[in-house]
Amino acid sequence: MSDKILLSAENISKSFNHIKALQKVTIKAFEGKITAVIGDNGSGKSTFIKILSGSLEPDEGIIKIGTNSYHRLSVAQAINAGIRTVYQDLSLDNFKNSVENIFLGDEITRCGFLDRKAMRVEAAALLEEIKVRIPDLSEPVRNLSGGQRQGLAIARALRRPAKLLLLDEPTAAMGIQESAKTMEMLGMLKRKGIAQLIVSHNMEQVFDIADHIYVMRSGEVLVDTAVSDTSPEELRELILRREDERIF
Amino acid sequence: MKGYFDISAKRLKYMGDKMEKILGYIKKEFSSPVLLICFCLMISVFLSISTESFYSLKNVVNILEANSYRMILAVGMMCIITSGAIDLSVGSILSFSAICTAISLKAELPIALCILLGLLSGTVMGVINGVLVYATRINPLIITLATSYMYRGLSLMVTEGIPVTKLPESFREIGCGDIFGMESGVTAAFVIIIAMIPVFFFMKWGSYIASLGGNPEALKRCGVKTWKYRISVFALMGFLASVSGIIVSARLNSAEANAGLNMEMDAICAVIMGGTALHGGKGSLFGTVIAVFLMGLIRNGLTIMSVSSYYQQFITGAMLLCAVVIAELRERRARIG
Amino acid sequence: MKKFLACLLSAAMVLGAVGCSASSETAETEAQTETTEAAAAESEEETTAAETEAAQTEANPEETAGEISDTVKQLYADFDKSMEEQIGPMPENFGEIKVGAVVISLTNPFWVTMKDCYIAAGEELGVPIDVQTGTTEGDTASQLDVLMTMADMDYDVIIVSPIDGTNLIPGIIKCNENGVKVINLGPGVDTEALAEAGGYLDATITVDFAEQGETVANDMMERLPEGGQVAVLAGLAGAGQSEGRTRGFTETIEANDSYELVAVQNCDWDATLAYDATKALITEYPDLKGIFCCNDVMALAAVEALSAEGVDGVLIYGVDFTDDAKAAIQEGKMTGSMSYSSARYTKAALQMAVMLNEGETFDSNVYLPLTLVNVDNVNSLEGWK
Repeated sequence: MSDKILLSAENISKSFNHIKALQKVTIKAFEGKITAVIGDNGSGKSTFIKILSGSLEPDEGIIKIGTNSYHRLSVAQAINAGIRTVYQDLSLDNFKNSVENIFLGDEITRCGFLDRKAMRVEAAALLEEIKVRIPDLSEPVRNLSGGQRQGLAIARALRRPAKLLLLDEPTAAMGIQESAKTMEMLGMLKRKGIAQLIVSHNMEQVFDIADHIYVMRSGEVLVDTAVSDTSPEELRELILRREDERIF
Repeated sequence: MKGYFDISAKRLKYMGDKMEKILGYIKKEFSSPVLLICFCLMISVFLSISTESFYSLKNVVNILEANSYRMILAVGMMCIITSGAIDLSVGSILSFSAICTAISLKAELPIALCILLGLLSGTVMGVINGVLVYATRINPLIITLATSYMYRGLSLMVTEGIPVTKLPESFREIGCGDIFGMESGVTAAFVIIIAMIPVFFFMKWGSYIASLGGNPEALKRCGVKTWKYRISVFALMGFLASVSGIIVSARLNSAEANAGLNMEMDAICAVIMGGTALHGGKGSLFGTVIAVFLMGLIRNGLTIMSVSSYYQQFITGAMLLCAVVIAELRERRARIG
Repeated sequence: MKKFLACLLSAAMVLGAVGCSASSETAETEAQTETTEAAAAESEEETTAAETEAAQTEANPEETAGEISDTVKQLYADFDKSMEEQIGPMPENFGEIKVGAVVISLTNPFWVTMKDCYIAAGEELGVPIDVQTGTTEGDTASQLDVLMTMADMDYDVIIVSPIDGTNLIPGIIKCNENGVKVINLGPGVDTEALAEAGGYLDATITVDFAEQGETVANDMMERLPEGGQVAVLAGLAGAGQSEGRTRGFTETIEANDSYELVAVQNCDWDATLAYDATKALITEYPDLKGIFCCNDVMALAAVEALSAEGVDGVLIYGVDFTDDAKAAIQEGKMTGSMSYSSARYTKAALQMAVMLNEGETFDSNVYLPLTLVNVDNVNSLEGWK
């Protein structure tokens, strides 16, 4: 594979009280590409994303970002290294409005005071750029739709130059239409050159936009394949075969 | 003729829209303060008509003086509740910091140092609360309940239950001396409220405090060191409690272990009545200020009308109940709409 | 070490009760009524009387008193004589006057009675009077707020009974400045601190608290000729009436070698605290012979605690002679209670208010004559108020 590796997590292991959530998982993300990690509940994919975003410490393994390698990433380090995470629960403060949420933790200030005007202008431009439509930016976000909220979470992740966008189940709890729209947006971001690592349980959905797919089962990587080398049917067969191999 | 009507209709519609927008804004942002102000006005008008002594400058000063320290506590409590926590140790901190000040005054240390020691002790107790709440992640209700007993116990151990009285005149001059024709506590409360406006509304601190109540996990994931804010909000509460403690001890010319009993409840009551949600996320500074006034008005009115103190607690409770029920109904309608 | 432990333990106990009252003020009141086992109807009657200020139905003792006994008549006569000596006669004619009174708490039956007596005395003398109080018994700050407000109203004289020695001082100074005369009734204002702050009292009418303690101590010693261990349940630390009573009692007891004072426990006038303290005392000193409680609320709690422990034969004395205490003394559960006529007390205070307003002055403190009601004389005191 000739693509430049953006991030590689090598031999990551993590266990919680004797339950092995991850066992020597190695996953790479490439510049400008969409990498998908597919797995059912309990396959360890959420643990993996928490480690990448800096909120969990792995027991073993190394995370390499560009020329730096980390044994343990902090949230701040992950953000500084250009890894932006869109959490499954979106991590929005429901009482705050769209602008405040986009700038949460990274407000524009002037002499120590919040510069609301500048933030509003920047937020509007950002939302326009990724084509998220929110009619009233001063509305508390709890009154927004699922798609709008997802858009906000992504906008927040993209506010600072992002090298890699981590998306945890971006379409969970969304209707068919909204899911399609979200996927469309991710495709658009890819065309803009933003690398993504999508964690999902829905293979069909990510198949259309992903470049590389990892399939996880019980804390291990089962399949590691480029999308161009396979098809959904083939992938499914591969998964079944590998599972049989594991059992017998 | 037709044109004339056209314009007027357009203008009317424009004005109507504008009015609607302003009213909508007031309704959204200030609905509970406005309701409380109406209440205050109603009570004031009633008392002015039915009694002779209510409508006088002196009485207004009385109300301000009697509620200055309650106001200070309520402002701190508003920040605590906005951050999704609660602090039941306020009364105990108040008493302990007053005792610290009084004891160091008795030891004839310089007054400024004594006051500083009092403020410091209160702030430290607040920091202890904050650290415990942050580190253990146990419900602040339980943590501060425990520390409130501990702090009160400290006060009792230090004083052996005997009030420290006869504080120096110069200290009392600072704590309740005359500024602008009122006790200095009123000025202190005023300064604190004014200082809180930028901090609470226009700075990161206020925004993060609210997010601590709204979605602390989100705040953390955005790279904010939440422990700083969790601890600082408790520290602020401790500091304000010690300010109140100094005012109260100066007024009463005594610092005792029983001072400030139940004052946290009054403060919580005012904060909730003022429209701050008990689960946090959004605070109402003005609502709190007005609610403290309202409660003070009721107390004053009952005294002036020579009504038994039996009624006061009932009325306060009933008003709190009304306030939360109204807030809850509004909240539900907002969620549906 | 033991002292430290005791300190910790007592702190825990104090706070236990504090916690209860923090959760709800009414709960405290309820607890009090529960422990004192006030007949519900009776206390209700009291409350309604206080609320509607329909005190005229109770009127003054002479009028209602078909059943006034000779003992009581004698006591009243003694009282009036003593007051005549100290205050002088009531002026026949006097100018218009409005009197306010600040009492300690309306959650304590004693002060509820005092309020009723004030109002009855006001009716009798033709003096309008308002009686006010802070929110709860320990709330020094809110009592001050009440006085501060009253100082600016149109009262000519205000009669104050402060929660502690210093809490009302700013209010008294304000009264001085506004030309409102101040009488201190009952628990004393710390006159030294008041003078330092630049204020003064126009008159003081009070009870000699030490004398109350002495009288109880003497009666107790008479009933315990063979000596033994005794204890004191005091009120709020630093409160004048508690300190005075305790001092009077302990000095008298300690002067006699056959008696041993084993404990002086501050119970803050609180029934719950007194109840627990009594249980602890009787466990530690099973031979305890007598307990002097600085008020009846605590005495009745002590009675309850002892009967719950199945102990009898301990002499319990209180102060105030409330209705509940009277019933307990009649049943023999309590031995005695220090009393004085609240009706005469308030009437004397009102008379002083009128005389102050007419320009008279009182240079020395006025002291009330005291009576010990005990199991021997309780039935001859029908109609005593």
